[in-house]
Amino acid sequence: MGFLSPVIAGFGVVFQPQNLLYCLLGVTLGMLVGVLPGLGPAATIAILLPVTYNIEPTSAIIMLAGIFYGAQYGGTITSVLLRLPGEASSVVTAIDGYEMTKQGRGGAALGISAIGSFIGGTVAIVVVTFVAPLVAGFALDFGPAEYTMLALLGILMVTTLGTGSAGKSLLMATVGLLLATIGQDPLIGTPRLAFGSDQLLDGIDFVIIAMGVFGVGEILYNLESLRDKPPGPVTVGSVYPSRQDLRDSRGAIGRGSVVGFLLGILPGGGATMSSMVAYAVERKAAKKPETFGKGAIQAVAGPETANNAAATSSFIPLLSLGIPANATMAVMFGALLLQGISPGPMLVKENPELFWGVVNSMYIGNLLLLAMSLPLIGIFVRILRIRPAILAPVTVLITMIGVYTVRMNVFDMFLVVGLGLLGYLMKKVGFEPGPLVLAFVLGEILEAAFRRSMRTFDGQLTGFLTQPIAAALLGAIVLLVGWSLVRAARAPNLARKPEAEPLESSRS
Amino acid sequence: MTSEASYARRQNIIATAIPLAIGVVAAILSWRLGVGDLADPGPGLWPLVVSVAMVVIAAVLVVRSRPTGGEERFGRGAVIVVVAAGSLIGYALLFERVGFEIPTVALLVLWLKVLGRESWRMTAAVSLGVSVALYLLFITGLGVSLPHIVAF
Repeated sequence: MGFLSPVIAGFGVVFQPQNLLYCLLGVTLGMLVGVLPGLGPAATIAILLPVTYNIEPTSAIIMLAGIFYGAQYGGTITSVLLRLPGEASSVVTAIDGYEMTKQGRGGAALGISAIGSFIGGTVAIVVVTFVAPLVAGFALDFGPAEYTMLALLGILMVTTLGTGSAGKSLLMATVGLLLATIGQDPLIGTPRLAFGSDQLLDGIDFVIIAMGVFGVGEILYNLESLRDKPPGPVTVGSVYPSRQDLRDSRGAIGRGSVVGFLLGILPGGGATMSSMVAYAVERKAAKKPETFGKGAIQAVAGPETANNAAATSSFIPLLSLGIPANATMAVMFGALLLQGISPGPMLVKENPELFWGVVNSMYIGNLLLLAMSLPLIGIFVRILRIRPAILAPVTVLITMIGVYTVRMNVFDMFLVVGLGLLGYLMKKVGFEPGPLVLAFVLGEILEAAFRRSMRTFDGQLTGFLTQPIAAALLGAIVLLVGWSLVRAARAPNLARKPEAEPLESSRS
Repeated sequence: MTSEASYARRQNIIATAIPLAIGVVAAILSWRLGVGDLADPGPGLWPLVVSVAMVVIAAVLVVRSRPTGGEERFGRGAVIVVVAAGSLIGYALLFERVGFEIPTVALLVLWLKVLGRESWRMTAAVSLGVSVALYLLFITGLGVSLPHIVAF
């Protein structure tokens, strides 16, 4: 059982008291973030990056991962009870979940979501356990040519498959790439686009970008609705679904697990897209599709299972290839770098305690979340009543002080406010901040890999075609670009709106 | 065309013209850095590739400026954002000069009372509580040496 021994050793890491504590802290924070509309998981993780700097790496990543998948559970609560999705990945849940609340079955919707999320998450962890080391083993032979294509594909998929306008996302990706070039040339050390500033010569730290665009940007954006009254008290009812409910959603949970897992691995996929696809799948599979939109429990169970499975499986590209698949994973990438760990195919071998500690901690995290979502649900429903006016200054101060602690540098504070304003303006004009942050991270990988491959290919761009894997990835890029162009040409006058646009406030 | 749509369209044109201009400047600066050739790239080659891509995409978007559905009007809420951002700049200016305590309390009072219109009692309680909590978190808990004036 040579393969399983590091996996089992990983449980030893998880059951260290401090790691259990950080896991609990992470998932609790995740639930809170999910429940409170406004800050999404990416922003929260970004804000907490400097705080985790002083924590031991494995514990830090266990906690941050907990925030991410915990938010998938929490986001459901506001979606179902108030029709206000706390997270973008719970937008489709609001459609039928809120109908169920109106029919007095809100509790059952929450209960089935929690059970579905738990099953989806757990199934995904088991599969990750077997698939991630395989992918990593396969990727060990990857050279700069493969990484060039992989990074390029990642950026393009996030811009074309993500929410919002593809053109705008693409533009933001180039802004992210350009920001990544500020500082010194990675190979020769010549200062570039630093405008003679000593502060910019070191380049802009990823933490600053993430905290500015995600953290401060979202806080500023939410300030516009600062004076809104919190929602009134809501009654939940029993959260334990009936046998009939369970029987009705069995298929949906199964399908949701598969859809979520598969889409989570894809760059640009992730939790939001998988929940939307799962909704569509359920609608197709339903015996009575006319009940959809009128409180069908499958329409809640499927997407909620899928977003959690996807949240878990999106760790595969990060931990086994070193390529973050979505914006939240990009922030997680930053967290690993901050700890001096470079994620990639070597991680499983070189850092088994970290790898298996983080993966296995998700079992515990999901169990904790199940407990929080069923018996303890009342506490989190009450948290809905915290006013944004109190929350905003607290989060902004944690961000400002946190940013200072990264390099003990006031310049970074100005930078983060500037980037925050940029993030705010982007949101106002319909630009997603995700592609910018992801492209910033991938930019450094992409440039170094591209230049190294150009050296090996002696300046011949056709060199990429001589490497089978790189050529296959290039083929995928060509297909993706072609497909997007066709889609854009077919619908010239249709403003591409996400399906659930009228729901508003999927601010994550 | 409705006024809402033409407003969004104007927004889009401005929002894409700015990256267009930045892209042009960045392209010129990268060119000056020395591009080299593909076999032996100079420091400017990669930034040049990126800024050219940026210029092309921005140019396409300036022309195709129809609303994409995500645009929002700048209203009264924007004033709050400007005040808030200004207060953060002020916070950063004072942070190292007078330590973190006074600016922290001041920022909390401004955001709670002026921006959030909370009651004085709530403002006082939250300001003090949060300042103490931040002190405990960063200075006592994480052992970070923030500039501070209160010492135990």
